[in-house]
Amino acid sequence: MKFLKYTFALLACAAITSCSSDDDNNNSEDLTGQTGELILKFDNGVGDQDFIFGTTYSKSNDESFQLDNLKYIISNVQFTDSDGNIFMYPVEDNVFIVDETDGNNAGEIYITLNDIDAANYVSVSFGVGIDQDRFALGADGQGDFLDEASEEGMMWSWASGYKFIRLDGTFSTTTLTNEPLNVHMGSVGTALDNYREVTLSFPNTVLVRETTSPEVHIKADIAKVFDGTTTANFADGYDQVHTDVNETPIIADNINAMFTVHHVHND
Amino acid sequence: MNVFQNFKTGIVVFAITLLYTNIAQASRIENPCANHEPFKVYCDLCGCSTSSGSFGFGTLSNANFVGVRYIYQNFESRNGIFENSPVSKETFNTYQLWAQIPINNSFYVSANLPYQDLTRNFNNAKENINGLGDASLIGWYKLPFYKKQKEDKVDFNAEREASGHSLQFGLGIKLPTGKFEESLADNINPGFQVGTGSVDGIFSLGYNYGGEKYGVNTLFSYYLKGENKNDYQFGNQFSYATNLYRAFATEKMNIMPFVGVSGDVYKKITQYDETLEDTDGNILNASFGSELAIDKFIFGASYTLPISQSLFGDNVESKQRVSVYVNFAL
Repeated sequence: MKFLKYTFALLACAAITSCSSDDDNNNSEDLTGQTGELILKFDNGVGDQDFIFGTTYSKSNDESFQLDNLKYIISNVQFTDSDGNIFMYPVEDNVFIVDETDGNNAGEIYITLNDIDAANYVSVSFGVGIDQDRFALGADGQGDFLDEASEEGMMWSWASGYKFIRLDGTFSTTTLTNEPLNVHMGSVGTALDNYREVTLSFPNTVLVRETTSPEVHIKADIAKVFDGTTTANFADGYDQVHTDVNETPIIADNINAMFTVHHVHND
Repeated sequence: MNVFQNFKTGIVVFAITLLYTNIAQASRIENPCANHEPFKVYCDLCGCSTSSGSFGFGTLSNANFVGVRYIYQNFESRNGIFENSPVSKETFNTYQLWAQIPINNSFYVSANLPYQDLTRNFNNAKENINGLGDASLIGWYKLPFYKKQKEDKVDFNAEREASGHSLQFGLGIKLPTGKFEESLADNINPGFQVGTGSVDGIFSLGYNYGGEKYGVNTLFSYYLKGENKNDYQFGNQFSYATNLYRAFATEKMNIMPFVGVSGDVYKKITQYDETLEDTDGNILNASFGSELAIDKFIFGASYTLPISQSLFGDNVESKQRVSVYVNFAL
């Protein structure tokens, strides 16, 4: 039964080789000069529910809200690799509007970043809104973004500056029903700085390479705008948030804590 | 003579399988993964696992055969990270050529070559992929047990009386004969595949009892998953299945209704040497069905329903499974 022996020997070999770990060593990979694409997927939700326009969401204090407009500005995106090196996306292009209406049928908003240095990244940092340095560049220094922000309704005036987040809709409390809700939070010129930065570590290493296009799926919990670090109740005046020196920093801090990285795709 | 013929058949099937995989490998080399297609977690569970142990490798009575099997399955998977994320409905049709071919009294080979036809329906948009799936080949050693002979009796009969109990030890391989297809470029997860792209080792232990009226068919399999070309490695898998049948014999036919349980336990998926969260899971199924043997033909049908499941962070839900087959006993 020579054949039999061969059959089994073959199967055994195959079984064993199939289990041996591949010895492609990522450490010895030379990444110098290599760049690749990276996609940030923003996904707005309320708790464990996907955010949908016109849906009524309840919050603390027996209050509820529904929105027909949801946008925020993301800027100064940078990545830290496993060796601690930081890659900062080019400043002039490093500002984006995340608009719920730009979402795909699963409600995900894509920000595609090109020419990222190839590396094994472990975390991302970004700011919500516009920092004072960028604002100090003046109207001419804003490039195309000034027009984009104006068109998207994310500006007051040049003097007052950008709206970092914009929520429009209605709210209800125990005593009021379907009253207008408008949260337009930003810095107020140079007088009040509500720009905040957030750093999120990745659950798995993000491998940026010339040939790959990894995705970072960022979940934004809109419930945290009101029920965040500090509870902001409509009954206490948080139904209309614009340039108030006391209200806006609370919303800014709450928004800062609403982001988490749900997962990454290294495909 | 008969043994010799069976032996020849075995060689032919084995050679064809080998030849086929060589061709498949060769054609893959020509096109070395130019499309960096995202693999989906779902694949291992849904499309590619139809040749796994929880589906059974053969007939109830562990007879030798060549045949065809059709498996219908449906699933629901969530396309998103939220509880109310949209759900896509997946329908999997699998057509298999399968066989259990004897080599001699103690050894046999079981082989399985599936053709996959997978459809998913998401937001009223249909996607379909089809093609050859992952073939598997298992070599078995059968250890039969015999009835104890009375010590005070000298038996000149060389043939010992079989007890009906037997153990089977299997060693096999699952081959990446299924191609990876570029799915329709949509923003939702691209979904399902007809193959895992990996070479997997299969280790099986079976127990069989075939009495006059009742029989039991039990199978445990462990799959050691290999890494595919995208540095993606599905989690090792443990499959189990046991079926209890009752045989009703008439002059013309043999009817064997059965009930059984089966299941799979999946470990986490590894990519670039890191494990991925929410990629493990388990499922326990109940099934019932019947086999009908007329002359050399064995007809079978079964219906399988999940009893409990927790698959991939509860993002995938198995709904039901129907299987029908026609085998020709060797």
